Amino acid sequence: MLDDIITSAAKLLPSDAHAELRAQMNRSCRVTLRGGNLIGNAKNETSGVSARVYRRGVYGFSSMAECSADAVASVVRAADENARFMARRAPSPDKAPIAPIPASSIPAVAPFTDPEQKYYADFAKAIDAYIAEKYPSLASRTVVATSDSMEKILAVSDGAGGHTASPRSYMYVFLNGETTSGTPIELYTVFGGSGTYEKNFKDPASMYEEIDRLYEHLMQKREGIYPDAGEKTCILSGTLAGMLAHEAVGHTVEADLVLGGSVAAHCLGKRVASDKVSLVDFAHTAFGRPTPLPVVLDDEGTPATDAELIRDGILVGYMNSRETAAHFGMTPTGNARAWMFSDEPLIRMRNTAILPGTDKLADMIASVDDGYYLIDTNNGQADTTGEFMFGVTFGYEIRGGKLGRALLDTTISGVAFEMLKTVDMVSDTVKWDSSGFCGKKQPMPVGLGGPELRCRVMVGGK
Amino acid sequence: MHDLKQVAAASLAALKEAGADKAQCTARCTETHEFNVDGGKFSLFRTLFDNSLALAAIREGRRGTVSVNRFDGESIRQTAENCLAVAASGEADAAWDFAPETANASFTDGAPEADLDRLFDRTEELMRDIGARHPKILMEQMIVAHKKVTSVYENSLGAAYSRLYGCYEIELMFSAHEGEKSSSFFGSYVCTDSLDAPFITLGSIEEDLANVERQIDTVPLDGKFVGVALLPPSSLGEFLGSLLENFAGDSVLLDGTSLWKDKLGQRVADPRITLSAAPLDERIVCGERYTGEGYPSENYDVIRDGVLESFMLSDYVSRKTGLPRAKNASGAIIMHSGDKPLSEIIAGIERGIWVGRFSGGEPGTSGDFSGVAKNSFLIENGKITTALSETMISGNLAEILNNVVAVSRETVADGSSVLPYAAVGGVTVAGK
Repeated sequence: MLDDIITSAAKLLPSDAHAELRAQMNRSCRVTLRGGNLIGNAKNETSGVSARVYRRGVYGFSSMAECSADAVASVVRAADENARFMARRAPSPDKAPIAPIPASSIPAVAPFTDPEQKYYADFAKAIDAYIAEKYPSLASRTVVATSDSMEKILAVSDGAGGHTASPRSYMYVFLNGETTSGTPIELYTVFGGSGTYEKNFKDPASMYEEIDRLYEHLMQKREGIYPDAGEKTCILSGTLAGMLAHEAVGHTVEADLVLGGSVAAHCLGKRVASDKVSLVDFAHTAFGRPTPLPVVLDDEGTPATDAELIRDGILVGYMNSRETAAHFGMTPTGNARAWMFSDEPLIRMRNTAILPGTDKLADMIASVDDGYYLIDTNNGQADTTGEFMFGVTFGYEIRGGKLGRALLDTTISGVAFEMLKTVDMVSDTVKWDSSGFCGKKQPMPVGLGGPELRCRVMVGGK
Repeated sequence: MHDLKQVAAASLAALKEAGADKAQCTARCTETHEFNVDGGKFSLFRTLFDNSLALAAIREGRRGTVSVNRFDGESIRQTAENCLAVAASGEADAAWDFAPETANASFTDGAPEADLDRLFDRTEELMRDIGARHPKILMEQMIVAHKKVTSVYENSLGAAYSRLYGCYEIELMFSAHEGEKSSSFFGSYVCTDSLDAPFITLGSIEEDLANVERQIDTVPLDGKFVGVALLPPSSLGEFLGSLLENFAGDSVLLDGTSLWKDKLGQRVADPRITLSAAPLDERIVCGERYTGEGYPSENYDVIRDGVLESFMLSDYVSRKTGLPRAKNASGAIIMHSGDKPLSEIIAGIERGIWVGRFSGGEPGTSGDFSGVAKNSFLIENGKITTALSETMISGNLAEILNNVVAVSRETVADGSSVLPYAAVGGVTVAGK
């Protein structure tokens, strides 16, 4: 854990400008078994300090790979010099002063420790051995054991400071086979969530049932069909609804992207979805439970609270930094986060989810005469116009209200604020995912979730 | 400034002391100066001082790697011990090794020292040029940086390298706007070691800006056809990256799932296709000089005149499969130019699509791809006509490589790759 060299050094921050000082440590472990070969066995730790100073509407930032009093003094000095350079050469004096935050302190986190690398490797080997023995006919298999964590100590000239930490850990299992016509197919599943590896992974046997289900899906996919191309009535799983919430809607309502020209710039207060759709970027608690990746304080000194984005189909807010909150006259909710000590805070999502409705999944499937139930995805991309494309790796056709044959890989696409207006059924259960990184100049762990949605969407076919 | 040779020597000694049979160390210092523009306005100037120490050890055939960003003696000792603990957690595999003493070299290249005032002036000039010549463009984000990197590689078998280089990087993310209408976003990238030319003239920046300005008004394609996809360097690079990863990379050869696994020395592409991995080419800025495994980097052809000449394998997978190791690990891809001007290629396309960017599912080992053709134009009767939206394209990577209609005489060199415009047939284009 980090020693606190920050709190007492806050006095070094300039008194005539908003400023932030942060010490941070990132740790990660990764063990990769591919076909039984241990092709990756790595551990990483980085730490350092950074400072950011705001003058005349522009920021100066500096970082150093060292946690020491000298390094703190150096980065504060360099950040202020950079801010003064920008204030002289490219000021934005017309910007409103950044949004004020009352001074406070977030309680320090409980210490945590990573297990030895052997713990990861042994667990991964146990899972790999189970798959190799039970399913010898697979074309290949990959097992990945991984964890990462961010630990931060923050002091700001005005706002909240504190000591936070957010470890998370996951197991990925990839199974590969071939269709009856020889086309390679793959499916994967993820286990884990917030917390250290030792906390999340105690007994390999607890994963066997889910691995068996994955294998069963792979065998169904072997006999799978390509869906018919065109606009179809589909039920999107919670995983796909979460991806839609994050990629196709969430990014367009990040205030820096709004200022950069996203479609949401013209939609505030307008209908962007059917009245069955509400969307929130949760901070640390959702539906009475901790979020998948709880955030209590951001890196600008804003205590984290939920950001309500869509209420009953109407766009009601953006996610902000303190600077953009002042621009839009909104309240900052703690979305400005940095991935490493050498990164400046950017507006990022935390745990973005479409809220559950009242429908039952079984009723939703029964309601579709000719369509698809789309379940798993391996990637998704979206534009600032809200146009999105998601890969779909597993699903079923629905005929006469009943699930039919499994699907081969396909894609779905559409324009979020048009497609969301077609949502007419929303299930009562939210599925969360949190294993990935969101990419936006820096990577960032994020949670995303949603209930099953019935909607009209373009299906790519083959 | 740290003495990286001393850090490397201390690290190898610490790894030996901790019990390594063989050891490897890469120590690196990076100094970054970076100007940011957000939403069309300057927003940030940042200066970063970072270190990286990556250690690898093999003991009794077991390998471990650990990286940290500290160089002090205690950190080196602890990292070495951690590295051996990581190795001990693994399985013995005779294929792990480090490069033998094939070279002992020192390199200096690019522009190691930043000229920050001139860099700022060029950045301001780019903003002005865009405003004057492409007034519909809104710059979502622009990052202009100078990076200075000092690094040392040493292993216990005697391979040793040191390097100093510096370069300027320009990354743009932008879209075009008219009232409430907007184009899709698009990104341009250039790496250079010179500030002599206005940034707007580098790489494909000017062409990209002009194309995006013409993509504000789009129409969805009506219906479906199989035709020619004209891939400019921006999307050609994406397709080639997927193709090489799925057919020639480590994972698929280790698995045995590559469709090219038995094709070395055989024709896999149209004879007009030559693809090189060439970090030493003069158009590549500060390209790789030695691999992460300790071998000196050399240029090589992956495909020459349509024939598969080499896979892109690491030393480890080379030993596992018995196939030759790739002569560099740079990703600096050069596709050789053709003999037709781009205008002639367009004039010869009866029905096709210009694909500025591909937004699709990651193609798997089958090579099938399917996704949205972003920043695209319809080509009809030899002319680029309307900009398209919500248009899907699909096909197969291996098949399009054998279905080449033409390769352009023009190329775009952005400092990290050199690519022409390629027209390929057999692509399914589908609208709503």
